[in-house]
Amino acid sequence: MPEDDRAKAGEYALGLMTRAEAAEFAARLDREPGLAALVARWQEDFAMLADEVEPVAPPARVRRRIEARLFDDTKSPRWLAPGVMGLLAASLALVLLFVPVGTGVRPPANPLYHADLASESGELILAAGYDGETGELYVIPELAPEEGTAHELWLIEGDNPPVSLGLMPADAPARVLLAPEQAQALQGAVLAISVEPPTGSPTGAPTGPVIATGEVMTL
Amino acid sequence: MATRDDIETWIARTALGDRRAFQNLYDHTSAKLFGISLRVLKDRAEAEDALQEVFVKIWHGSKKYTAGKASPMTWLITIARNHSIDRLRARKGDTEGDDKIAEMPDTAPGAEARVVAMGEAKRIEECFDTLEVDRAEAVRRAYLDGESYADLSERFSVPLNTMRTWLRRSLIKLRECLEP
Repeated sequence: MPEDDRAKAGEYALGLMTRAEAAEFAARLDREPGLAALVARWQEDFAMLADEVEPVAPPARVRRRIEARLFDDTKSPRWLAPGVMGLLAASLALVLLFVPVGTGVRPPANPLYHADLASESGELILAAGYDGETGELYVIPELAPEEGTAHELWLIEGDNPPVSLGLMPADAPARVLLAPEQAQALQGAVLAISVEPPTGSPTGAPTGPVIATGEVMTL
Repeated sequence: MATRDDIETWIARTALGDRRAFQNLYDHTSAKLFGISLRVLKDRAEAEDALQEVFVKIWHGSKKYTAGKASPMTWLITIARNHSIDRLRARKGDTEGDDKIAEMPDTAPGAEARVVAMGEAKRIEECFDTLEVDRAEAVRRAYLDGESYADLSERFSVPLNTMRTWLRRSLIKLRECLEP
């Protein structure tokens, strides 16, 4: 690597080039992997200088602003309001078989939707991601059901009654192919987990306590 | 203290839209990144705005991070630093033109996996020690404070071109020391 390029890569990483120089250099990076590697090495080396920068805890409002910007949580699952549960008895269950993925879960290559299902206290119970290309929903359970019970996953679209997406595996990640109409319903929907008998809800609607909910986010 | 693996995992899960992982990432790295923004911007309110933007960039850019290439902290630090410098230059209305520096650090082509060992931070210090004091200081200020050639030439009272020559020579010397 010519000396000049080594210095240039450093100047580029430091942000010392003029706009024209930087643009010209950036164009070279696309076709010269060796040069790009050099910039990456400078970034790696310079980043060590940051060791001398004292961490300063940012005020809590920064985090709130970030979350407000990224995650609009104004929609709350209205169906969880007291009394609403009783109205859900006649809902249609569509219990699908979840296929355990086994070790080395392949997360969606192109996740379209994601939901973190958390308990009221904020504990993560299950993470779910929907791959728009394979049409599969991937689930990663973080909490195994208690002995003699099962966790059932529900899809709630607006004020509609919950639709079962099936029983969750106890502790291994799994995936399930969703019907197109279910996939369509995911956008803006809420996912929830209820505690059910080992064979699932006998009524087609959640019968046990709802232990976790999460809004489906479009990525 | 979060390990490199922890941070890599959180970035990877953030790329899948995992909010919890993103929160962990924020909890463990925001103080460092805020320190970096403050150092560049020297203004608390602006550093807060910068930090907010930085984490929005991290959320959206996490898919571009390739584990095992750049160290995850380098990736995060570079995003925070570069964004803060862009703000600094926008604030100054810098007409010299060296605004908008690389936004996302390049982790893709051919960047070697370099495990940042405990001793490595010491190594860059050692290499800085081989430079003359004010030249080392100039490189440090360019990186940590985001100073431009114009700032540096004023600070060290040397013509712009002299500063440019100093700095380029220092960079070559540093690179030779870092990779003999």
